[in-house]
Amino acid sequence: MIVRVLDPTHELKAPGVQPAVRPSSLKGKTVGFISNGKEGTKGYFTQLERMLREELGVADVIWRTKSNYSAPADAHIIDEARQWHAAVTGVGD
Amino acid sequence: MLGSNRPALSSKIYDVEDFAAAQELFHSNRWTDGLPVVPPTEAAVEACLDWALMPPDQLIGIEPVRAQPITAEKLAINAVMAGCLPMHFPIVTTAWQAMMKDEFLLHGVTSSTGGCGILVIINGPVRLEIGANATFNALGNSDRATSAIGRAIRLALINLMDVRPGGIDRTTLGHPGKFSYCLAEDEEGTDWQPLSVMRGIPRGLSAVTVMAALAPRQIMNEWTTDPKEILETFAAEMRANQRHYSIYGGNYAIVIPKQLRDIIQAAGWTKRDVAEFIYERARVRRGEWADVGKGAIVRDRPNKIHTALESPDHLLVVAAGGPAGGFGAVIPPWMGSKTKAVTAAIGACVDCEPPKG
Repeated sequence: MIVRVLDPTHELKAPGVQPAVRPSSLKGKTVGFISNGKEGTKGYFTQLERMLREELGVADVIWRTKSNYSAPADAHIIDEARQWHAAVTGVGD
Repeated sequence: MLGSNRPALSSKIYDVEDFAAAQELFHSNRWTDGLPVVPPTEAAVEACLDWALMPPDQLIGIEPVRAQPITAEKLAINAVMAGCLPMHFPIVTTAWQAMMKDEFLLHGVTSSTGGCGILVIINGPVRLEIGANATFNALGNSDRATSAIGRAIRLALINLMDVRPGGIDRTTLGHPGKFSYCLAEDEEGTDWQPLSVMRGIPRGLSAVTVMAALAPRQIMNEWTTDPKEILETFAAEMRANQRHYSIYGGNYAIVIPKQLRDIIQAAGWTKRDVAEFIYERARVRRGEWADVGKGAIVRDRPNKIHTALESPDHLLVVAAGGPAGGFGAVIPPWMGSKTKAVTAAIGACVDCEPPKG
């Protein structure tokens, strides 16, 4: 006997997020780090900052830390990020 | 009843040969929790929607971080899969409304490595209507209603929020409550106020409370009739959680079965008295971390006091469990105060403005 069943998944996708235009070069640019504040991020971002400055010529690196590591970045960080040319985030433990 | 006037269901349809083929379809697509599911047929899903008087496209809410809309139809499909009867469905929709409040932080709760389930606590007349058992084997496989409702929450997370292990769900270690984690309060077996009333819902209304919760930690103290000594055992378990898991304060639940509850009640203690005692006793010095191998993070604050609760209001005291045995349970929160328990009345609009004038 044929059983007719329904798809249990969302099917409706969440509204898409359009990625920002990627810079062709980071030379002379400002890059922001949005850290979740966890212990392991310090070493990671320290090394990344060195690489960005020395190897890619980044002019300025700005560090910001979320107030809640499990929640989206605070509004003031998002506002500030509009001034950056690129941001690095989504780094976990 | 909406009946024949109900808008048509819009979900994609699959025709499969038989029950076994339906299971394979769902398992191969990772649409289950690993257990067999009830095939969500149109008739079964429509029965849930009719019971709740909801059209299929009714928006239950939008998950605030990923902006994922959750509709009644999709929740009903997952509820049927979990084994829910139509009468269970309004509890599932209300729990989801509560879970999507900002303060619950659903995305963090379901994506964290920290490994929590979502505990659903049911209060009010609906418990009796659905045959929820708040006594023997509470927190376990105590009855059909709580088992199916708790499972519906998880299946909907899997299918509507992509909370699959290794996907959105980054949990290091889960616990059995991530299959189903639902509890009814034994309101008939206590003089205490129901949890929902303690949290602001008018008495007589049915309600659900959702909490991001670790596995229950069971305690035993059958050797005293002093409420303080009984509650000291609960507090000690909370201190142990602070030392071993997270030191930070948040919503803890304690489940007090009848044997211990009767002693505490007979001494004249209310739930508020219990919460105030626990608030005072469940706290540790930061320096205690050094006793359990975490000396590296004590730093220069060994004498800082961390309370398990930010205030007595943050303790969820629940009357439930079998009639005999000096047992109880402490249910710790996921990561302190980053999430807050949310209580919502069933059949009420959680985001509606009160009528003007």
